[in-house]
Amino acid sequence: MARPHAQGAGTSAIFAKGLGKAYRMYDSPSKRFFELFAGGRKLHREFWAVRNVYLDIPHGATVGIIGENGAGKSSLLKLLTGITRPTEGELSVHGRVASLLELGAGFHPEFSGRDNIHLNCSILGMSEAEIAERFPKIVEFSELGDFIDRPVKTYSSGMYVRLGFSVAASVDPDILMIDEALSVGDEHFKGKCINRLNEFREQGKTTIFVSHDMGAVKSMCQHVVLLDRGEVLAQGNAESVADEYLKRAKARGNERLSAFNRGSSAYPRWGTGEIETLEVEMLDSAGGTTAVFQTNEPFRVRVRYRVHAPVKDPVFGLGIYRSDGSYVNGSNHHWREQPIRIEDAQPGEEGEVVMSFERMPLLQGAYFLTTFLYDHSKAAPTAIDHREHVCTFEVIDAARLQHGMLFLPTIWTLTRRRDGREERLESRS
Amino acid sequence: MLALIASLKKNKRLLLDLVGRDLRARYVGSSMGFFWSVIFPLVNLVVYMFVFSFVLEARWDEHQPKEVTALLMLAGIVVWQAFAESVSRSTNTLVENQNLIQKVVFPSEILPPYLVISALANMLIGVVITLLGVVFYAYIQPVEYASGTPANRILGLGPSLLALPLLMMLQALFTLGVGYFLATLNLFLRDVYHVMGVALTVFMFMTPIFYPAEKVLEAGMTWVLQINPMYWLIDSYRKILLWGDWPSPPIVGMFAIVAVLAFFAGSSFFQAQKPRFPDLL
Repeated sequence: MARPHAQGAGTSAIFAKGLGKAYRMYDSPSKRFFELFAGGRKLHREFWAVRNVYLDIPHGATVGIIGENGAGKSSLLKLLTGITRPTEGELSVHGRVASLLELGAGFHPEFSGRDNIHLNCSILGMSEAEIAERFPKIVEFSELGDFIDRPVKTYSSGMYVRLGFSVAASVDPDILMIDEALSVGDEHFKGKCINRLNEFREQGKTTIFVSHDMGAVKSMCQHVVLLDRGEVLAQGNAESVADEYLKRAKARGNERLSAFNRGSSAYPRWGTGEIETLEVEMLDSAGGTTAVFQTNEPFRVRVRYRVHAPVKDPVFGLGIYRSDGSYVNGSNHHWREQPIRIEDAQPGEEGEVVMSFERMPLLQGAYFLTTFLYDHSKAAPTAIDHREHVCTFEVIDAARLQHGMLFLPTIWTLTRRRDGREERLESRS
Repeated sequence: MLALIASLKKNKRLLLDLVGRDLRARYVGSSMGFFWSVIFPLVNLVVYMFVFSFVLEARWDEHQPKEVTALLMLAGIVVWQAFAESVSRSTNTLVENQNLIQKVVFPSEILPPYLVISALANMLIGVVITLLGVVFYAYIQPVEYASGTPANRILGLGPSLLALPLLMMLQALFTLGVGYFLATLNLFLRDVYHVMGVALTVFMFMTPIFYPAEKVLEAGMTWVLQINPMYWLIDSYRKILLWGDWPSPPIVGMFAIVAVLAFFAGSSFFQAQKPRFPDLL
């Protein structure tokens, strides 16, 4: 693992070496009590939420910490803010720290916004003079208007969060730590929050940003730390760590999904059974089976079959659904400009059907497949072998260029007219 | 211990803010505010008076006027309530404020002190009511005493009022020690908070608040009083508030020793376990 910044501990905003945090796990709550009298005997098991972390963050850096749920991101942040103490290793933090782990922690519902600002500021360690100076700015930033004098219990959740962020944003720390607290409030307020953060970065302050959203981290941070099961898996510039993150996420997703896909499906399967679909495989660009794909990567589904009894006009089809059940797409090899027809399927025949697309158009999410095998020789097609929800796959979208369910290859043009001249800008990708 | 005192000094403003917020929170939700803190002790008094001196006919002694009994009870109730409220709220205060302890760097050692200060401030109202009662029945409309009542059993105020601040400080120290200890213990054993509800009731009835200490002596259970610091405290308060006597120095001295020991033990336990609080919650 390369050292991200070749600087000594003295000039770093945050320096950690061999940092670890173990939580004690007890089989029963009373053991926690009896351990007090056990004279050093251990009645607990240790769970290492964070271990062996090396960090060297220079002043003025914006650093992202990413990892899947349970990777130890929040535990690490609590260590860095000083809320919890490390079990082992060394940690030095230089500068005043403010953390946004939760907005509005410690508000009292019965008191007015005004009183709560006052109290919250003193909890955050501001002096009387500092509070007096910043008070008008906080009120203005929160845009609460007359509500500032009403009890906080009458606030909507949006107003509550706005007040919380306004107080937090007024703190003037050297190091700011944020735990995904930004996904709050309406678009207008969100914009204000991001402005405040940018302002903060421009002043050369240090920011630590924790998220499980690779896209958000990539757009904000130069340096990214990837955590996995409490340990630093990789750190360095955003691009290289993002690749590592994707590799991990794919491996993890595959592990989970392949077990799921191997198990006999609990979903319904029906049909007359003249032809049997044997296995459904999803293939990546290299031809290996996988259950995790990347947006804009090649994608293939292969279905093997065996014929048990003659059928006149069997047609294979495939349906793609999103995990919430939305029907994304359905197609078969018959309803096409160039249809493929199988007119004489006889017992003993085996084969495979492949449906492929060059660029996976789906965006980040979980999806599942349903295979159709219908007899089209009759007026209304009848099911030969219909398998609902036959396998599940995940799509990872690292680029995050678009939002929603589908990636659409759009073209953007912009025409600017000024000083009597016309300028045309175009983006094809 | 020194670290604790330094932290309290450093966070003095936050501490006072919390006390102010708490005193207002008691009554902010209600329209009559301060009025209630006068009414509550009086209502309590009337109820206890009714039950103990009329229904159960508990008497301090045969010849003691009802008014004096009422004031004795009031002084006891007021002091006891400050203690019981502080202890019971302190026990749960870390759990109640876990949001602060787990989400921001928060000096949790100021939590029990703010509860104790708030309770003592509230107690002062009760103390003033008691004093007003004493002034009324001693000087404005003196009660009639049976002949032969000893002089030190006649209501009155004196320079011993100067000892009140000392008594309150010792009370604060004792209450804080117990509060720190139970707050910490409650993190290891959540049952503590529930047990405290019952324990405090038992403790209250073992303390001569609604009956004279002499009854206990007559029953030959002197030891119950000898191990009860709250009896020493309440007895000292009564001497000052009702008779204008100076409290007995050995008793105050003993209470002072117990208070300092309790504070030392409780706060040491608290400070030793403090780094683990975010994990224990």
